[in-house]
Amino acid sequence: MIATLPRLHAVTDDRVVGAGRVVQRAAAMAAAAGAALAVHVRTRTLEGTALLDLARRVKDAIAPHGSWLVVNDRADVARAAGAQAIVTGRSGLGVRDVRRVAPGIPVARSVHDAASARAAAAEEADFLLAGAVFETPSHPHAPAGGPDLVRAAAGDGGARQVIAIGGMTTANARGIIEAGAWGVAAIRALWDAPDPAQAARAFLAALPVTRTVALVVNGESRAVSEGTTLAGLLAQLGLDPRAVVVEHNRRIVRRDALGEVRLAAGDAVELIHFVGGG
Amino acid sequence: MATMADAATAQDAPLEIGGRSFHSRLLVGTGKYKDNATMVRALEASGAEIVTVAVRRISLDRTKEEGILYHLDPAHFFLLANTAGCYTAEDAMRYARLAREAGFNDFIKLEVIGDQQTLLPDVAGLLEAAKALAREGFKVMAYTNDDLITALRLEDAGCAAVMPLASPIGSGLGLLNPFNIRTIKARLKVPVIVDAGVGTASDACATMEQGVDGILMNTALAEARDPVAMAHAMRLATEAGRAAYLAGRMPRREVAVPSSPTRGMLS
Repeated sequence: MIATLPRLHAVTDDRVVGAGRVVQRAAAMAAAAGAALAVHVRTRTLEGTALLDLARRVKDAIAPHGSWLVVNDRADVARAAGAQAIVTGRSGLGVRDVRRVAPGIPVARSVHDAASARAAAAEEADFLLAGAVFETPSHPHAPAGGPDLVRAAAGDGGARQVIAIGGMTTANARGIIEAGAWGVAAIRALWDAPDPAQAARAFLAALPVTRTVALVVNGESRAVSEGTTLAGLLAQLGLDPRAVVVEHNRRIVRRDALGEVRLAAGDAVELIHFVGGG
Repeated sequence: MATMADAATAQDAPLEIGGRSFHSRLLVGTGKYKDNATMVRALEASGAEIVTVAVRRISLDRTKEEGILYHLDPAHFFLLANTAGCYTAEDAMRYARLAREAGFNDFIKLEVIGDQQTLLPDVAGLLEAAKALAREGFKVMAYTNDDLITALRLEDAGCAAVMPLASPIGSGLGLLNPFNIRTIKARLKVPVIVDAGVGTASDACATMEQGVDGILMNTALAEARDPVAMAHAMRLATEAGRAAYLAGRMPRREVAVPSSPTRGMLS
């Protein structure tokens, strides 16, 4: 889990980029939302140099406010632009290949159901963009998964960090967060607003507070979102519960109870296995 | 391979510890090998059934490589978890409980170390942990000094086996006090497994000749130039020492006694 992952994602598409003033609108939203905002540069209409130029200008405009630049599909452009994350689409490169191109940058995967969410977690995606949650003009024929899609993508006990996308509005955001999403992504509701900064502010106000919980796992500080269970923590770490013994605040937790123990601030978790010894 | 040792051990009773029965009297560790493939081949060459493992934190970055169970088939070996590295009874008990939770068995090789330089046991902590763990149903195999009184106390505490050292862990000094080991073996009812200190095959053979029930080693294999060949040698030496003990050695004398007839000499 990335404790600093922004909760509001302003995603561009060909139409938004074609309409121009992307940098100005991104800067206005960044000024309003700061570190809670990620701006996604996503368009098929621009080739390498022009796309990199746009990504760099967005980055320069939003970075002073602490907002993230996220580049979709083009790992090379993301790396060159200094993006904070990369989203790889359904038919895009695998997470491992993206990491090879752009080492050290968090990678998200677009997913559309529980199976693709599990597959993305298996390839160790850092977070997921799950959609379409609601009907949206940008994908008119895609079935809307609703809160169930978010629940399935997030998995039991908050195993996966999910940003919900597709038809998101200030009106429906709360229910989606309550279903287990970390944050929301929008195209029209932000970029088409007469005042994008005001729209970003309204979105953030609509998101219920999701607190993170600071833990110590095997002596290292880590954060998980509130409500995460021990089973969810193991899933986030990519650990098979059958190969681990779990101690929670000095008490051993049996495998079948891992899904029942929710983590709280200051908890100490030890994850143990057998190594060579005499 | 069919050796004379096989013929002799065939007449030997199996090694019984904590209600389980084993045919090999050689127990081996899994630490310090230069790579896992060598470790696995050495274990096979040793013929050991009981192999020791340590309890440690998972490394959160690269988990799949260092877990020993990715290399060892737990159906093929009896995994004996240890509490190596623990300096208090409380720590050793914590490690033992975590090890049992892994779900293989309720045996624990109990170590409570008293000193970093010699790795000699803290017998007060050892007795405290042994008592508590035995009460919790553990089959405790206690690593201890070659001291009869401690060994007796460990037996009274409910240990399934007592494991006096031949010499300090990893030292390769061999059997320093055969008298103490023989004394312990003569007085205890539970199995006596000599643990730690053997360096080469003659050490293992001499140790088994004292009549102990088994021997546990790690560094002598892992740090041999050829661990697989040394494992084979240790297997033969363990069997040879056991067979010699069962055969019963001749008495020691301070004078020579001729082997050939003194009668019938030419005048």
